[in-house]
Amino acid sequence: MLDIFNTFTLAELEVGHHFYWRLGGLQLHGQVFMTSWIVIGLLLIASLIATRNVQRVPQGMQNFMEYALEFVRDIAKNQLGEKEYRPWVPFIGTLFLFIFVSNWSGALVPWRLIEIPEGELAAPTGDINTTVALALLTSLAYFYAGFSRRGLGYFAKYIEPTPILLPIAILEDFTKPLSLSFRLFGNILADELVVAVLVLLVPLFIPLPVMMLGLFTSAIQALVFATLAAAYIHEALEGHGE
Amino acid sequence: MFDFDATLPLMALQFVLLTLVLNAVFYKPLTKAIDEREDYIRTGSTDAAERLAKAERLAKQYEQELAESRKQSQAIITAAQAEAQKIVAQQITEAQQEAQSQREQAQRELDQQKQEAMTSLEQQVEALSQQIFEKLLGSQLA
Repeated sequence: MLDIFNTFTLAELEVGHHFYWRLGGLQLHGQVFMTSWIVIGLLLIASLIATRNVQRVPQGMQNFMEYALEFVRDIAKNQLGEKEYRPWVPFIGTLFLFIFVSNWSGALVPWRLIEIPEGELAAPTGDINTTVALALLTSLAYFYAGFSRRGLGYFAKYIEPTPILLPIAILEDFTKPLSLSFRLFGNILADELVVAVLVLLVPLFIPLPVMMLGLFTSAIQALVFATLAAAYIHEALEGHGE
Repeated sequence: MFDFDATLPLMALQFVLLTLVLNAVFYKPLTKAIDEREDYIRTGSTDAAERLAKAERLAKQYEQELAESRKQSQAIITAAQAEAQKIVAQQITEAQQEAQSQREQAQRELDQQKQEAMTSLEQQVEALSQQIFEKLLGSQLA
C-alpha cells in the first residue's frame, strides 16, 4: 500500500532545499532568481505593451496599467501627501507591483510542476533573502528621505520629544525592516506550506478555500508592505515633532 | 529556511534596477499621459464654461434686443393706428362738410327755383285772373 502511495506522489514538501548557483565564491538561490526574473519579465512586458502607443483615450493594456499606476499612486499619496508623493511613486509602486505579482504567481502558477535539479520553484517573496532585501531597501529609502530633507538634523528625531526614548527610537530602525521582511516572508511561506500540506492530504477541492484565502492574504501583504514603506518614508520626511 | 547568502544583495540590486527600468518605461510615460489628460480635461471644461457663459450672455443680449424691437414695433403700430384714426376722422369731417355744403347749395337752388316758380306762378295767376275777369265781364262790358 505504502509503495503505491509513494509511486504516485501528488505533492511533496521541500522546505530549506535550494537550487544553488555559484557565482565566483558566492552562493545564490537559483530558484528564487528564476521566478523573480519571470515576475520582472511580466512587469516589463506589461509596461512595454501599455506604453508602446500611449493615447489620450486609453485602451486595453494602457488602460489596465494606468489603473495599476493610479492605485500605487494613491498608496503613495495617502501616506506622503499631495505635495511629497511624486518622487516616491516609482519606489513604492515597484515594491507593491513586484511583491503583488510575486505573491500571486506563487499562488496561481503551478511552479512545482516544473522540475529543477534541487529544491522547487516558488514565489520569490517566500524566500527570506528577497524580503530582507526589500525591507533593507525600504530602510535605506527612508534614511535617504530623512537626510535629504533635513540633513544631519534628521538625528534630532532620536531625541525628540525626549531623550529618554532614545533606545526605543534606535530600536525602531531595527524593528521596522525586521517586521516588514518577516511579515511578508512568514505570510507567503506559511500560505505555501498550508496549501502544500492540504494538497498532500487531500489532493482535490479541499485546498481550494485555503488557496483563495492565500490569494487574498497575498494581495493584502503586498498592500501592507507598500503602505508601511510609504508611511516610514513620510515619517522620515516630516519628523516626529512637526 | 533562514540561510542568508549572496541572494540578498543581488536581489536588492535587481530590485533597484527594476525600479529604474520601470520608472523609464512605466511610471514616467503613463504619469505623463495621465497628467496631460487631466490638463486637457481641465482646459476643455474651462473652455466649455467660458463658451457657455458667452452663449448665455449673447442670449440675454438678444433677448433684450428682441424686447426692445418689440417695444419699438408696438410704438410704431400705435402711432400708425393713431395716424390712421386721425386721417379717418379728418376725411369724415371733410366729407360731412362737403355733404353739408352740397345740401345747403341744393337747398338754396331749391329755394331759388321755388321763388322763381312762385314768381312765374303769380304772373300766370295775374294773367289768368285778368283773362277770367275779361271773359266774365267782357261780354257785359262789351
